[in-house]
Amino acid sequence: CAGEENWVDSRTIYVGHREPPPGAEAYIPQRFPDNRIVSSKYTFWNFIPKNLFEQFRRIANFYFLIIFLVQLIIDTPTSPVTSGLPLLFVITVTAIKQGYEDWLRHKADNAINQCPVHFIQHGKLVRKQSRKLRVGDIVMVTEDEKFPCDLIFLSSSRGDGTCFVTTTSLDGESSHKTYYAVQDTKAFHNEQEIDALHATIECEQPQPDLYKFVGRINVYHDRNEPIARPLGSENLLLRGATLKNTEKIFGVAIYTGMETKMALNYQSKSQKRSAVEKSMNVFLVVYLCILVSKALINTVLKYAWQSEPFRDEPWYNQKTEPEKKRNLFLQAFTDFLAFMVLFNYIIPVSMYVTVEMQKFLGSYFIAWDEEMFDEAIGEGPLVNTSDLNEELGQIEYIFTDKTGTLTENNMEFVECCIEGHVYVPHVICNGQILHDCTGIDMIDSSPGGSGKEREELFFRALCLCHTVQVKEDDSIDGLKKSQVPRKSCIYISSSPDEVALVEGIQRLGYTYLRLKDNHMEILNRENNIERFELLEIFSFDSVRRRMSVIVKSSTGDIFLFCKGADSSIFPRVKEGKIEQIRSRVQRNAVEGLRTLCVAYKKLTEKEYSNVQRLLQNAKLALQDREKKLAEVYEKIERDFILLGATAVEDRLQEKAADTIEALQKAGIKVWVLTGDKMETAAATCYACKLFRRNTQILELTTKKIEEQSLHDVLFDLNKTVIRQNGSLTRDTFSGLSTDTQDYGLIIDGASLSLIMKPRHDGSSGNYREIFLNICRNCSAVLCCRMAPLQKAQIVKLIKLSKERPITLAIGDGANDVSMILEAHVGIGIIGKEGRQAARNSDYAIPKFKHLKKMLLVHGHLYYIRISELVQYFFYKNVCFIFPQFLYQFFCGFSQQ
Amino acid sequence: WQPILTAGTVLPAFFIIGLIFIPIGIGIFVTSNNIREYEIDYTGTEPSSPCNKCLNVSWDSTPPCTCTINFTLEHSFESNVFMYYGLSNFYQNHRRYVKSRDDSQLNGDNSSLLNPSKECEPYRTNEDKPIAPCGAIANSMFNDTLELYRIDNDTRTPITLIKKGIAWWTDKNVKFRNPTGDGNNLTALFQGTTKPVNWPKPVYMLDSEPDNNGFINEDFIVWMRTAALPTFRKLYRLIERKNSFQPTLQAGKYSLDIAYNYPVHSFDGRKRMILSTISWMGGKNPFLGIAYITVGSICFFLGVVLLFIHHKYGNRNTSADIPN
Repeated sequence: CAGEENWVDSRTIYVGHREPPPGAEAYIPQRFPDNRIVSSKYTFWNFIPKNLFEQFRRIANFYFLIIFLVQLIIDTPTSPVTSGLPLLFVITVTAIKQGYEDWLRHKADNAINQCPVHFIQHGKLVRKQSRKLRVGDIVMVTEDEKFPCDLIFLSSSRGDGTCFVTTTSLDGESSHKTYYAVQDTKAFHNEQEIDALHATIECEQPQPDLYKFVGRINVYHDRNEPIARPLGSENLLLRGATLKNTEKIFGVAIYTGMETKMALNYQSKSQKRSAVEKSMNVFLVVYLCILVSKALINTVLKYAWQSEPFRDEPWYNQKTEPEKKRNLFLQAFTDFLAFMVLFNYIIPVSMYVTVEMQKFLGSYFIAWDEEMFDEAIGEGPLVNTSDLNEELGQIEYIFTDKTGTLTENNMEFVECCIEGHVYVPHVICNGQILHDCTGIDMIDSSPGGSGKEREELFFRALCLCHTVQVKEDDSIDGLKKSQVPRKSCIYISSSPDEVALVEGIQRLGYTYLRLKDNHMEILNRENNIERFELLEIFSFDSVRRRMSVIVKSSTGDIFLFCKGADSSIFPRVKEGKIEQIRSRVQRNAVEGLRTLCVAYKKLTEKEYSNVQRLLQNAKLALQDREKKLAEVYEKIERDFILLGATAVEDRLQEKAADTIEALQKAGIKVWVLTGDKMETAAATCYACKLFRRNTQILELTTKKIEEQSLHDVLFDLNKTVIRQNGSLTRDTFSGLSTDTQDYGLIIDGASLSLIMKPRHDGSSGNYREIFLNICRNCSAVLCCRMAPLQKAQIVKLIKLSKERPITLAIGDGANDVSMILEAHVGIGIIGKEGRQAARNSDYAIPKFKHLKKMLLVHGHLYYIRISELVQYFFYKNVCFIFPQFLYQFFCGFSQQ
Repeated sequence: WQPILTAGTVLPAFFIIGLIFIPIGIGIFVTSNNIREYEIDYTGTEPSSPCNKCLNVSWDSTPPCTCTINFTLEHSFESNVFMYYGLSNFYQNHRRYVKSRDDSQLNGDNSSLLNPSKECEPYRTNEDKPIAPCGAIANSMFNDTLELYRIDNDTRTPITLIKKGIAWWTDKNVKFRNPTGDGNNLTALFQGTTKPVNWPKPVYMLDSEPDNNGFINEDFIVWMRTAALPTFRKLYRLIERKNSFQPTLQAGKYSLDIAYNYPVHSFDGRKRMILSTISWMGGKNPFLGIAYITVGSICFFLGVVLLFIHHKYGNRNTSADIPN
């Protein structure tokens, strides 16, 4: 295999722990960790020392420990007990809390490590605890079970050697993914057969990238040369994923325990500290200075006062012999320490505990808020960290995801446009679907005969060109549920758009029934079942941005239906009413609808066999399979006849516009970071009032950069913004300012990466600075075409900018996790794209609209409460200590 | 909770505070003013003072240096009179001093009696015998004797000074106990201990009455309760009112006889004798009353001013909050 030599490190796995036949390769047993997952921090033995160490790393605890030790050593005004006891209490309470949490983790670990796993030993099925699993074991997993470790997929109960998997808990995608068994082993269907397999696997050492895997399997048949097969990520079943729609599979364990990709990806959430805590620490330092200076002043004054002997040692108050002999400087130093001890309560020992208690109890106020309870999913807000409550009230920047956050991610088929005629299922009124209406409303006059034909073709195309699966039971298992319950069939697909389309077509009279024996069945308007033989599927990918199917109708015609984004379809069309449809598509895009174009082409038998041959060649290629397939697709998917376009609406969440408006009024800057395309995203921004009519849009997109250089564009924009700023200040001075012009910036991922790229020549300033400057002067910023990592990059850029603003990121999908973790406060929406975001966030809320109350009510109150508490604490301690300080003047600075 | 401050809430609050505080202040002030207090400094630093000769007295001068100071009371003292001695610049609150005592010894613990706490150093033992009571506080007990005479047509009539009832009940009955043992002979009970260095007599010879002798001597108890500030007064004697027709101390001439034993000159100290009556609120303290009256008056005054402002300008702010 190519690139094999470049593997830095590889491991060899002997499937079923069988030695390879002699002469092939030396049998080197390697040692791998077992399948134990350890997330706990302490063991029974190291708990006390380790925990104490961790606790005394906290500055306040350490301080009190020092005070305590000083009290033990020298003669001080207060006894060691008075400061030892509170310290002991604080330490014990914290230790108990942490010990309890760790115990829970131990329990969770044990539950995982001990759950039974079936695996094969000497041709028989054995149940064992998960933690005893070793690399090289052959494991059997049945439906709805989670994979206990990273497996190479050997065979499945499905004949074609595939299985379906959801990786919801790994990357948040709830869709079903197809994995493929190794070609040579997919025929083994029972324990004995699989046990007879004699193979070794070579693969790279574990690495955290979920989607990358390189390996090779050598299958030994009797006496023959081993057959080598490449292994890719489509053969690798990851721990944490769940098997779906497949009865059982066999696989061989290659990465176990802490080496699985899930464990490697498990990053402990870095502790987020709130700004109040930071300023509290500053206070502490200031108070420490006050304390030291007080002690110093008192020591100096003491010796000044004592310089007269009748004061130092009046007849009624003689010193003892050792006291008289003591070195003056040592004496002064112990006096200083004694003063420190006397005034040590100026630093409140109980503050940390009290503040933590306050936050902990306070966090329930959010969870108890009934206005933030969502009836649809029956859940209220969740608070994952209580440390950041008060940060909610100080947010300056909000970074929000679009899909699923601002919008519902609940696709709704809105209209279709066939040959320029617009069809709207009139059942949609005010977003409510009336299930009993199935007619369509034709906005244009009824099309003629040829139109009718095209129309039917169009509907069939939509019915056939998808990868939707039908699940024939109506139990809800967290997946997309059909909007049409009476049909009791659920469409499952990796893309919600497809589901929306199929459902929309269903309302227009064509129902997709099922895929049976490679035949797709649809129920047409006359309630007749039409059967099409499914010949090929060219699956969707984000580079081509289209998908195609080749089907053979019952009459023997072979059709190629293609569905894809307008930009990828139009250049491949040779016939059809392109102009009309294009204008319609553009109008829809501006309205914030997701558009797809549908085209078809008729193939003759000869053409088809040609296609088949090309495909076969490409699929069998071992190297660059992807690339070759793409080339073939390119060759086939052309000369289409355009049928029409569809529009699917991603509806805004309720009150999203309201919320954004309120947040903007509160002086919070709202940025939208989305992976969607610019037009759609901009339309959504208009719809949710992020951009208003009078907002002047500044564009910083690839297109514009192509025209001018990045440099010029940036400087131009900067100038515009600065000029605006200048005039603004003048306006406010003259008192004539009317409605100020505000700016909205649109930037796409490509240009962003250009800006973020460190410049080597260093010719002209820093683009980042200019970019930041522009952003700061815009009321709203929309970043589209963003990769998850870029989202985090933006958040980081703002977070580390000069003013150190406090940022909040809100999102619902796995692609938002990085930005949620990066921002000061991360909020997850308990949404449809899995719970990944909610789990990684600090707070989770059911709907975007709840953000308003969360920030403007709860956050504000928390901030007031915590600042009052902290300030009161310091005030209290000053009140407590200052009289002590003054009293020293009346008791001869004797630390009384 | 955040009160919304409007004229409707603030003005009454000011008036109410004023109206409550002013009478309280006046009451306290009058009470305090009714307390009679008379103070004599008898340190004798001035050459003219009769006690000047005793200024550099030492502990063990026998017979003690005595001096007499004559004084005149302008007003008669109607109710019971308390007689105090006052010391200045005496740091009874110094930490080394405050610690220098053994409470379990004073509580009558026999083992502590013979083996006092380390805290008592350097007043713990003398000539290898444990000191009872040990410590700097006990060692420096005030030992001037004050006697009061009324001079009526050149005849000196002594005034009865009561020495019991000047200590706290808990101190006398709980905190301070004589050592226990066979019999009530204090001399025997304090066997094996020695007197504090500065004392002329051992602790079991402080008084002739057995229930005011040893550790439970009230003068001793009063002294052992250390003062918080370097200038302090301690109760010395009580003068009870004989009958309701006669004031306790009539206005007139008096003389104070002092057996001057206690040296304060070495540390710039002062000694005073104070006669005072008390009221329900303690001794003479005009400050509290004045403070009440001041605060009340300010509140009342501000109330009036604000009422005036409100009355004159108050109804304007509803109309014009958008300046052009």
